Amino acid sequence: MTTSPLITLLFSGLPVSADSFLPGVSTVALVRAESRLIMFDTGPYAYRPILQGRLRKLNIDVGEIDTVVLSHVHWDSAANADLFPNATVLLHDRELAYAEATGEHDDETAGYIGRSLRRLRLRPIVGEPELCPGVQIIELPGHTPGSIGLKIGDALLAGDAVSCAYAAATGDIHCTLPTTSLARQSLKKALDLAPVIYPGHDRPFRVGPPVTYLDDYSVRIRFFTDPTGPDEEIRIGSFSPKSFASWPSD
Amino acid sequence: MKIDLLIPGLPAKADHFLFGICSLVLIRTAGRKILFDTGPFRVRPTLIKALQQFDLTPADIDTIFLTHLHWDHVENLDLFPNAEVLTPRAEFEYAAAPRPNDWGTPPYVREMLRDMRLTLLPEIEQEIFPGITTLLLPGHSVGLQGLVIDTASERVVLASDALWSARDATRAVPDVAFFDPAKAQTSLDRALAAGDVFYPGHDRPFRFKDGKVHYLTQYRYEWSFAFQPLGQSFGVGISTMQTMSTGQRP
Repeated sequence: MTTSPLITLLFSGLPVSADSFLPGVSTVALVRAESRLIMFDTGPYAYRPILQGRLRKLNIDVGEIDTVVLSHVHWDSAANADLFPNATVLLHDRELAYAEATGEHDDETAGYIGRSLRRLRLRPIVGEPELCPGVQIIELPGHTPGSIGLKIGDALLAGDAVSCAYAAATGDIHCTLPTTSLARQSLKKALDLAPVIYPGHDRPFRVGPPVTYLDDYSVRIRFFTDPTGPDEEIRIGSFSPKSFASWPSD
Repeated sequence: MKIDLLIPGLPAKADHFLFGICSLVLIRTAGRKILFDTGPFRVRPTLIKALQQFDLTPADIDTIFLTHLHWDHVENLDLFPNAEVLTPRAEFEYAAAPRPNDWGTPPYVREMLRDMRLTLLPEIEQEIFPGITTLLLPGHSVGLQGLVIDTASERVVLASDALWSARDATRAVPDVAFFDPAKAQTSLDRALAAGDVFYPGHDRPFRFKDGKVHYLTQYRYEWSFAFQPLGQSFGVGISTMQTMSTGQRP
């Protein structure tokens, strides 16, 4: 008997921007399908100990992950692909070529990413193969040359081809390469393909119309400005944003 | 001798990701343009802008002093193909096979360093440029080295994560003794005894006198979070000025 594949969000992506750093809060998901354990994206290096902790909480050892799918090779998606010693790492053939190119990259692709990926057991993908029943690679180029998504039943893990719900609602896309029209086609393809989208930098949503979120989130940030004083804490949540220093802006 | 802060370290933690925003310093002396650490990827655009303020591009940086090989200090190495990289030999050798529980050192950090002009620093304290002496500060990592800079008027200690924040100074205990706590304590004591002005790894520079911290700079960070697909975004700020003005000292 087959059970339908299950998506567990390890990190919800968040549509956050900041004035003087890149938040890079991207989506990382675990897919359980039959006996397979598949990671979809691995986040920025800044996720690493938290990612390890969240897998441990699910009683999953990094050695049990058999497949890592990289939607693309940006710094905030591919930095922890090496964490899984027994995994085959899937990425699009064109994306690997782009990662390994010695020339100019877009400004979110590190020059060393190709070399670091080469240390791993790679399987470059061409086309849209099915990994197991109900789990299929989808080509979504434009955001990067070889961006891909993963279709799981009715849902699509879209990577940055659908960066956020705003992109779905407006058609606006963020693209640092001169491939905006391709990225726009891929956005449309993604939204036509699946009623539920897990975007690269936002919570999962129903395509609608109207676009409707399926989940909430909260983030806590602690810091101090006085070394002899207590930590201050900002808590940002999708229902009740609270902060000692907050203001609405547009 | 000119010492300029490019990016102040930020003593912040979040439940969703590590900030990793460490102090980046530009030192200009004896015909050299030295960058002290390179920061996490998320500050890449800010680092490029900060260099522009001194009429420099990354290609103008001829020397990088890399205190240790943690992710948040090395992720922008590839911006500086023309630079000679000075880093502790102990760090480089250790990075060939980091301890399995050491999530700070990317197992692929030597791929990041490949093709760069490397000068490996021995475990001795030596004057590497006129007025600039290395300081052995192991403990946070296997072989961290900082710098002591003699200006005409004072001694400036660039301690990196051996002095994680100003709290380490007021508490006289290292906050992030990642690798070897006993050595980290000795190194913190050594760093604090080595000068008058301190640049911590993840906090603003400060003067330390009679057990009191006097910060030398301010900072302000702003985030913008989106909560609804087409809704207003929500601003959150961290500002040292504002917190100081509310007078939260005990």
